[in-house]
Amino acid sequence: MSNNQSEMRPLEKIIELRLPSRLGYERVAMDTASSLARRMGFHGDRVDALKTAVSEAVTNAIEHGNQHDAAMKVVVLLTVRDDELIVSVADQGRQMLDQHSTTRIPQIQDILDKDDKGGWGIWLIRELVDEVEFTTAPSGGNQVRMVIHLER
Amino acid sequence: MLEDELNVSIRQREGVSIIDLMGDVTTFAEEKINDAYRQVTEQGARTVLLNFRQNDYINSAGIAILIGIVTEVNRNNQKLAVSGLSQHFQKIFRMVGLAQYAEIYQDEDEAFQAFKSALAES
Repeated sequence: MSNNQSEMRPLEKIIELRLPSRLGYERVAMDTASSLARRMGFHGDRVDALKTAVSEAVTNAIEHGNQHDAAMKVVVLLTVRDDELIVSVADQGRQMLDQHSTTRIPQIQDILDKDDKGGWGIWLIRELVDEVEFTTAPSGGNQVRMVIHLER
Repeated sequence: MLEDELNVSIRQREGVSIIDLMGDVTTFAEEKINDAYRQVTEQGARTVLLNFRQNDYINSAGIAILIGIVTEVNRNNQKLAVSGLSQHFQKIFRMVGLAQYAEIYQDEDEAFQAFKSALAES
């Protein structure tokens, strides 16, 4: 009986969102992650950090990975574990992520004079979550896997 | 529904041009924020206070817009200050380095107290 329950548990705690690649829909992922993290007992500052990380990951998937093609989906998987929340964001890979961009540290003094003042998203994700991994999704697109640990 | 959720307005207080930003600062905010900045600059603003209110969501595209304002403020020899950000976004602004270019205050009143003591010292 207890065995059955523990086998059931992982299924019950995975939430999957399929979002159209249109800016604004990252809010749905952000709100879902926020709601889950709150219920898990994360402090407000950690929930805020997660919200920013999730919104940046989904925005990247919409803008870069799927090139704003609304027909392409961004798949967000939220996995709730006893001591951590895992959020993975996958796109359909119309454009693959430049691996250099995953380790770059943007400097505001360099960016001030550039026309493109963006490029903060991936760096923010790395700064705000406990673990992050940039890989290729089984579907062939880009995948970002972010983990925040619950400190008790 | 999921897009434009920012109200931008401008006002004057004690010689400071205040741009009130109520709502979310994302890519959809660019025109409104740049227009407001252009307007106060045309009116001769020397000090610009970006007064944030109820900003649940500021993303990297929003940060890029604000860095654009920093560039203009430097070019026009103005002073930039920021107030009303939540603790989280104050932290993000510091991380990004925006705090090097704009004083960050808890709220509008704290900003004006600082402006006044700066005036008294000069």
